Amino acid sequence: MSFSQPKEDKEVEEALVREFQAGNLEAYDKIADIYQKKIYGLSFNLTRNQMDAQDVTQEVLLTLFRKINMFQGKSAFSSWVYRITLNASYMKLRSKKKEPNISIDELMPSFNGAGFQQEKIQDWSENTESLMFTNETRDVINKAVDLLPEKEKVVFLLRDVEGLSTEKTGEILDLTVPAVKSRLHRARLFLRKKLSNYFEEFASRKAEK
Amino acid sequence: MICCKECLDLLYDYLEGDLDAETTKSLEEHFEDCPPCISFLNTYQSTTKICRETLNQVEIPEAIRDTLLKVLKDHKESN
Repeated sequence: MSFSQPKEDKEVEEALVREFQAGNLEAYDKIADIYQKKIYGLSFNLTRNQMDAQDVTQEVLLTLFRKINMFQGKSAFSSWVYRITLNASYMKLRSKKKEPNISIDELMPSFNGAGFQQEKIQDWSENTESLMFTNETRDVINKAVDLLPEKEKVVFLLRDVEGLSTEKTGEILDLTVPAVKSRLHRARLFLRKKLSNYFEEFASRKAEK
Repeated sequence: MICCKECLDLLYDYLEGDLDAETTKSLEEHFEDCPPCISFLNTYQSTTKICRETLNQVEIPEAIRDTLLKVLKDHKESN
């Protein structure tokens, strides 16, 4: 399920970075073009606000312009860009009133004493196609992701939404591979539970009709 | 036989293909006898897929793209 950056892309990017460091402004335009959508998408998914995502994207692109010489190639260039994007997004979030986090533990699966599942599990995986593109479903998904605690949310966005590898996500967040895995698994369990509530309710609404 | 709890704990590594042959076998044996865990597996995978598809739909609005282009252009010219 992971799509790491293809090797050729990485080489092209590194070449562009070196050219820009040497003063070639066209190389900067290409870098900005490659990253603009990624920066905006990630910051929008974190802040859920167009103005904030615009500010963050602008700030990150300007930082890349001004501080390109601070990039020393110790980690991948994309990891550097993601880290700057996360920091700028968190600055935005910190300046706002925070809604209290709900406890992720309450939504983890529950088992009986023998370790068997206690709740009835409905399989709604076949029914998502027709619901996928309704506004209601999109809203439910966005809200569920929004409710994730910050630590789990960022891992989920980098790994499952941006499609980065576990290793790369760890590099960006300064986490070990097991820590990335454990946070991602918790995020998926939390989201599965939230979406289950919605799809099961939808199925029973439909049955009532 | 492993129980549901162990099964769900192993789910992540199972989907990544990171389990050894023996553990994979006992997990698959559990799935054969446990429809709820099959449902759990299917919905766990669906969750990732539909969240990714939904959150990846974010596009930069035209007006914002234009503003960004202008800011970058001004900045480059003033340097």
